[in-house]
Amino acid sequence: MLEFIKPGLETSVQDFPGRIGFWSLGIPPSGPMDALSFQLTNVAAGNAPGDPGLEVQFIGPEIRFQADTVVAVGGADMKPKVNGQLIPGWEGVPVSTGDVLTFGFAAQGCRSYVAVAGGVDIPRVMGSCSTFVKANIGGIGGGAAKAGTVLKTSPSVRPLAECSGRRIVDAARPAFGASWEVEVLLGPHDDWLTDADINQFTSFEWKVSSLSDRTGYRIEGPDFEFGHKAHNKLPENGSDPSNIIDFGYSVGSVNFCGQTPIILMVDGPSLGGFVNPFTVLSTSLWKLGQAKPGDHVRFKVVTEEEARALRADFKAAVSEQSVTR
Amino acid sequence: MIFEEPRYLYSGDRYLLLEFGDEMNLELNFKALGLAETVADDPIPGVIETVPSFATLLVHYEPDQTDFHTLKDALHERVASLGSTADITLPSRIVELPCCYDDPWTKAAVDDYRKKIKMIEPNPEATARLNGLRDVRELIKVHSTPQYWVAAVGFWPGLPFMMSLDPRYVLTVPKYNPPRTWTPQGTVGMGGSCTAIYPVNTPGGYQIFGRTPVPIWDGAQKFAPFSKSPVLLKPGDRVKFVPIDAREFIEIENEVAAGTYTYNIVDYDLFAVARYTQFFEQGKKDVGYSAAAAEEQSATTVA
Repeated sequence: MLEFIKPGLETSVQDFPGRIGFWSLGIPPSGPMDALSFQLTNVAAGNAPGDPGLEVQFIGPEIRFQADTVVAVGGADMKPKVNGQLIPGWEGVPVSTGDVLTFGFAAQGCRSYVAVAGGVDIPRVMGSCSTFVKANIGGIGGGAAKAGTVLKTSPSVRPLAECSGRRIVDAARPAFGASWEVEVLLGPHDDWLTDADINQFTSFEWKVSSLSDRTGYRIEGPDFEFGHKAHNKLPENGSDPSNIIDFGYSVGSVNFCGQTPIILMVDGPSLGGFVNPFTVLSTSLWKLGQAKPGDHVRFKVVTEEEARALRADFKAAVSEQSVTR
Repeated sequence: MIFEEPRYLYSGDRYLLLEFGDEMNLELNFKALGLAETVADDPIPGVIETVPSFATLLVHYEPDQTDFHTLKDALHERVASLGSTADITLPSRIVELPCCYDDPWTKAAVDDYRKKIKMIEPNPEATARLNGLRDVRELIKVHSTPQYWVAAVGFWPGLPFMMSLDPRYVLTVPKYNPPRTWTPQGTVGMGGSCTAIYPVNTPGGYQIFGRTPVPIWDGAQKFAPFSKSPVLLKPGDRVKFVPIDAREFIEIENEVAAGTYTYNIVDYDLFAVARYTQFFEQGKKDVGYSAAAAEEQSATTVA
């Protein structure tokens, strides 16, 4: 069992791929913002990659272990400590009853993940333990951890001695920084922009706005012209060039709200009336999940084949191949 | 325009967006819902779920099991087998929702906006005036007469986007700019020609002029219609608003709190597009979209 002495900024239970199958009712998948680090952290703890674990954002919690177990911490390096001693990241670390896990601040990235052997045990809501805090869906009674929250853990499928010392190899660990290159596919509405607009989007170094959270990431940069289609349409599309008749959004859509692109994240809206000229690859979205306000982002258009290759790399990383002892 | 052939667009590496056209036309929504229905009944390998909207269907797929091109071909076959829109028949429940129009709660939200954000014309007077209606009484009549078609659900969990099914009773209003910071739970409002209900208290941009005491979102899933999900209204449902006064609102609110409220839902109905189209064409020939017609016509049912 885990006891929260301090909850941190917004520490929530997430699983992967989250709450799937309810998008047509407006219920988002939720799940980790950085699905790569989340799954690797689970693998380090000896769990299945998608098992329920904790997402730690910006300011970490203080957690007391109420049983002997193995814990792995991955994602942004928030300098995790057990009883005041730094512990290595991306590695199964044995802890004893009464030990306390604390965090510092990350120099790069902003979300850490905590996996305990066996995974966190909370009731599933619509098939998932993931938390959508803004709508009080799933998680710990619909929300994030509070001071005093106690979470049960499921029994580990591996003996604890086997979970301890499992380590993600350096080559499989995601690279962190203050500038990110994020792969996108063109579409669905790239034909609403001019060629100059598309070039501008992919050549400019965008700045992540402070108005960014688990629903969407706003980026700051230059204005767009918008193409013929955006300026010549039926009135029911709306008056702004970026308006279109409401349609279903993808997770990862680059949603042009007037002149502000917002990348829709895992708690984002399922539909709306703004065009999406680009869509971030599902295997690249983790980079935005780690980008901090003020970080810089460049977007790179890839082909379908390149997207497939990146997917294969991602899947290979999230596997036993990445583990050493 | 309704496209001769649908357009199949990339929407990332896990989604395909199918466009049936680029106008607000119920026929396009019937196609999207018809296609969603066939995919739900007889799944296409690799498809996880679909999201129908006004003129489009978003298809979420597992790229390890299919790819864009295979999926596009499979969807195209399904579109062909749907036949003409007139042949589409959709299961469609009729959900009655009591609505207190010109209510004190949405008025308070509008007053708050007028005080803190922008001095706009108050509702429901603004909606009545913009649609050439005599007064608020006439607005209530025009808004509560037709059945509303749930064309899509989303943006926020459980939020229905609905269109009037009766061409004689269509209202049109602009949206707020900037949006409100809060809207009471159960608020009924309009943006463009679309009617929505706010499942919970959220920010919002629609003109607001009524409120239902009946939850359309039940997070605890304690009422029977929520056994499968916390969401009441699904794409393809029809909603009929029943005007109530503030006293009845409180009574129903108390029943809801006590858990004794019974939802009024007709669950066995089908919606035949051919029958509807016939009605629609007749309706368009009748005089007036609202004011005069509202006085002459009584409630009309379709299908």
